[in-house]
Amino acid sequence: MAAVTQPRSAYLTRWFILALLAAYTFYNLGPILWLLVSSFKGRADLFAMPPVWIFDIDTSGYESVFGVGAAAGTASAYGVVDALINSVVVSSIGTVMAVFLGTLAGYVCSRYDFRGKGDFLFFVLSTRMLPPVAVLVFYHLMFARLGLADTRTGLVLVAIFANVGLATWIMKGFFDGVPKEVEQIAQVNGYSRMYAFIRLVVPMVRGGIAATAGFCFIFAWNEFAFASILTTTKAKTLPVKISAASGATGIEWTQIMSAGVVLIIPVLIFFYLIRKHLLMGMTFGVLGRS
Amino acid sequence: MTVTDQSQQPTATKRRSAATDKKKSSGRMMILGFLSPTLLILIFMVAYPIISLIDYSFYNFSALNPHEGYKWAGLDNYTYLLSDKALWQRFIFTGKFVFVCVSLQMIIGIFVGYQLQKKFKGRDVIFTLLMMPMMLSPVVVGFLWRYMLNSEWGVVNYLISSVGLDKVSWLSQTTPALFAAAAADTWMWTPFIILLATAAFRGIPDTIYEAAEVDGASAAYKFFRLTLPMSAPVLFIALILRLIDSFKQYDLFFALTGGGPGSSTETVSFAVAKTAFNYFYTGEASALAVILLFIIIGLSMILVRHLNKMGDKY
Repeated sequence: MAAVTQPRSAYLTRWFILALLAAYTFYNLGPILWLLVSSFKGRADLFAMPPVWIFDIDTSGYESVFGVGAAAGTASAYGVVDALINSVVVSSIGTVMAVFLGTLAGYVCSRYDFRGKGDFLFFVLSTRMLPPVAVLVFYHLMFARLGLADTRTGLVLVAIFANVGLATWIMKGFFDGVPKEVEQIAQVNGYSRMYAFIRLVVPMVRGGIAATAGFCFIFAWNEFAFASILTTTKAKTLPVKISAASGATGIEWTQIMSAGVVLIIPVLIFFYLIRKHLLMGMTFGVLGRS
Repeated sequence: MTVTDQSQQPTATKRRSAATDKKKSSGRMMILGFLSPTLLILIFMVAYPIISLIDYSFYNFSALNPHEGYKWAGLDNYTYLLSDKALWQRFIFTGKFVFVCVSLQMIIGIFVGYQLQKKFKGRDVIFTLLMMPMMLSPVVVGFLWRYMLNSEWGVVNYLISSVGLDKVSWLSQTTPALFAAAAADTWMWTPFIILLATAAFRGIPDTIYEAAEVDGASAAYKFFRLTLPMSAPVLFIALILRLIDSFKQYDLFFALTGGGPGSSTETVSFAVAKTAFNYFYTGEASALAVILLFIIIGLSMILVRHLNKMGDKY
């Protein structure tokens, strides 16, 4: 008797666990699919109750996002193109600068012992913990005083500061993985530390630099709090523009859905490229060193 | 003999190279040159603003007309804030939100992570797909859930009513709005716990489980007495990081509830932003920001101490 019930309860437990996992997968992936599907719905289908699964594909949301087709030149043109350009410029320059500075700092922290190194690394780590709104109270005044309010330059500065810490910690991890003998051999052969760094060590961590850049780009691209307070018209980035579509006249859902898809596509591409380094990137390089 | 020789050699070279590095002045130049740009940016963008913020918090003034009044207020801003019932409401709401969403994330994340450490076909693909939500923009996530949670035409209420339950007006009542925000935050950040949990679980050597099996340990015993304690250091990091992030949550509420209904879903971060950029009580907002910073710094100190204890891993 016992021999029969034992495997049966194990069998039930396994199905129960599988059902829970399936429910979680549905909860996890459903909303993303729903966003993609909804972005191709027209106004009527978007609010249909019960929700419709088969519908005529309507790209009016995308048209108003890019100001093309029926929406070209009209007042309903969402003007997202400018915001998109701002986002691309700010995130790209911010990423390049943050990764450049982070590579330098990460290298020194990996190779040298100096006084205050621990303090420096924790100071850098603090950018991960910092609540944006706290410093924003002051940035708001500082940026106005320096003429940086509503400029791309100001946002690039924010993108650098917000990501340089991440870049430093991740790059330190990658440099730790390069044997110190590389520099020693170079020095024995009469090359300088600088030459060894640029010509030998940096090429060895190319993959790490690319992964770091991927993370910095995603975080800079998604950044909302700073951009929403520090921009008013010209320098608005895409996330700010999306949030602006919910105004006094109600929420422009067709545009929000389409603009949301436009916003997450680059993220998903970069996410796919850096998926192997996810643990390191999401924990500030504290875990998952490669 | 040969084995000990091989293992000692690399450490000896390392020690020697570190000693020569310290002597060289070119090393000092390199440290200075490589660190100073980052240090300058962080001093300008982090240290200077925080010091100014503390300074501002003792004054009564508004960013709208900075020339008019920099009135010394002493601790007035703090005493006003701490005696303000509305502010305590923000703290209580934030605390509830943090508790609900972080506990949900930990439970679901550890469960799913534990199941995903077993090898099966297509595991890596599913794992990667499940990681997607945490990479998305909180603003898009907020609006997406706002769309799905609409009381009349939202797909969530459709699913609920198709099971035979009553529809819920999620975002126009205080308690449902709390759970709606927690559901959205849990959706976004459970993958983070899954990511760290699977990493921690994979780090446990198989031999320990094999030894337990020989002793006839049950599955529950293995999970609660072996897996959890052995992965506790990493899970603790995950917990603290989530506590910090959900405590300062701002973007999600901005898009999902806008702080409403009324001001019932305003987090502390939200209150700082509203005081500073809607009402322009800059002095008061600075004081509130300082309070927020102290809480975050307190949590961070716990994390830092824990990381130090973990030693060479970090």
